[in-house]
Amino acid sequence: MDRHEAIFRAVRLSLGYGRRTLFEDVNLEVDPGEFWFFLGPNGEGKTTLVRAMLGMVRPRVGQLWVHPELGQRQHVGFVPQRCDINPTLPTTVREFILLGLVGIQAPSAARAQRLAWALTKAGLADLEERDYWSLSGGQRQRALVARALVRRPSILMLDEPTNGLDLLAEDAARRFLAELHRAEQQTLLFVTHDLAIAARYATHIALFHGGGVVSSPRDVVLNRHTLKRIYDTAVDISYDLSGVPTVSVGLPERPP
Amino acid sequence: MIHEFIASWALFYTTYIVGWLISLLLALVGVLVVARDQIFLGAAMSQASTLGIALALSLGSWTAISAWGWVHTDAFLSVMAVVFSVLAALLTARVGAGKESHEAVTGWVFLVSASGSILIVSHSPHGLDEIHRLLLSSIIGATSVDMWTFGALAGVTALMLAATYRRVLLFALDPAMAAAVGMRITPWAAITSAWLGLAVGLSIRSAGMLYTFGCLVLPALIAKNICREVRPMFYVTPMVAIGTATVGFVLADHYDDPPAQMTVALLCLLLMAAWLFRRLRHGGAT
Repeated sequence: MDRHEAIFRAVRLSLGYGRRTLFEDVNLEVDPGEFWFFLGPNGEGKTTLVRAMLGMVRPRVGQLWVHPELGQRQHVGFVPQRCDINPTLPTTVREFILLGLVGIQAPSAARAQRLAWALTKAGLADLEERDYWSLSGGQRQRALVARALVRRPSILMLDEPTNGLDLLAEDAARRFLAELHRAEQQTLLFVTHDLAIAARYATHIALFHGGGVVSSPRDVVLNRHTLKRIYDTAVDISYDLSGVPTVSVGLPERPP
Repeated sequence: MIHEFIASWALFYTTYIVGWLISLLLALVGVLVVARDQIFLGAAMSQASTLGIALALSLGSWTAISAWGWVHTDAFLSVMAVVFSVLAALLTARVGAGKESHEAVTGWVFLVSASGSILIVSHSPHGLDEIHRLLLSSIIGATSVDMWTFGALAGVTALMLAATYRRVLLFALDPAMAAAVGMRITPWAAITSAWLGLAVGLSIRSAGMLYTFGCLVLPALIAKNICREVRPMFYVTPMVAIGTATVGFVLADHYDDPPAQMTVALLCLLLMAAWLFRRLRHGGAT
């Protein structure tokens, strides 16, 4: 994989539905190995940009370039906000994860290998035969990620994947994704409202606000001036010993 | 009992074969209905078919035989049944954000069809008899044309499901994910709705509402309770449907009861047993 070849590149991109434009004139480039966070309030177009990257929404203006191989559907893994499967249907973890292989031609041996790899990566190796509905919330979330991973994606897109989880499960899910990025150099794109999580794990951030998007490497975006302009409140940024920033929104500003 | 059934074969073999083929066809498409938790849709589509037949009968009574001869044919009744069933399926499929709920639209289709089908033929003794016959259900009187029609439909349905099994499954279970992996959801919804409408509409004309609705949802519900995954439901459901229909036909022949009602009653008993089985398997937890 050429590390300098973008998977997605938005050039002066404008997206919207009906008469409503969500954002305009956005430039953004997602390269292999990056951990992107799409941040911002509801209705600003975070999910819509993900849907556009998946080919489900057409640009109004500008271009959304997709890598001819890495950005194609069979190389993209997607974890939706919620899973609408009928809860009365019987399904095992194995069957659920194998659904992720739709659209990918692979012989049965290769399917079994992909399944085993995804189960191991998601920490579900012992739960293959378990009833999906008997899993805890955190385990189900891992199964959703495994269903995307089984595609061996060049990029994994997660749309608010920790919504509805308790604090422990949410923290475990975040650590699991961070480890996936660190150990596998998996390119990740994470949609969330949580600035603190982005500050901790992101390599790059796209801040959606007021019809525009500020996108850059984390340390460029995470400065008091930008955050105050976007959140319209005092923002404090501190760094721990390892250089990981911690962001607090709404606190009194430090004296200059 | 078996000997009596075999003895009746020469007289009723068309009825039996059509009954089996209808149960096979409806069982296959019924897995999708049950997977999407749209049980009531089956009843609404069956009732919509009845409305189509009532309209066709009414049209026939208003027109002179010489001028509009085709209006009086069985083929026209079947076409109207299919058209109304497909329309009902497409109407209920067009539910989304900002629109009425699926249950509300399905309930409206059922009620308008149930009341309309009786009101339209209420002053026509022949029409009223026909609608009552459809509502009561009878598979006796099936023809060889029915046999070939349902045989072809069941065969094509089985082949299509075998060829597109994973896509159908993902579409039925998780349409949002299906769209994300590149499936075109709107054409998929239209094609599955139309196919469901075709199967239900033709079955109503030949077997009536009870047998159609029963074979559409009960075998799939039974399979859902005894299978551990959705995939085996696609072959357990037809086995349950054909097996129960066979026992139902044998018992109906022996006790001189209507075969459609006997089969549906047996399926209802089996569903109770399946619920018990699932409860025992989960140790009483569910």
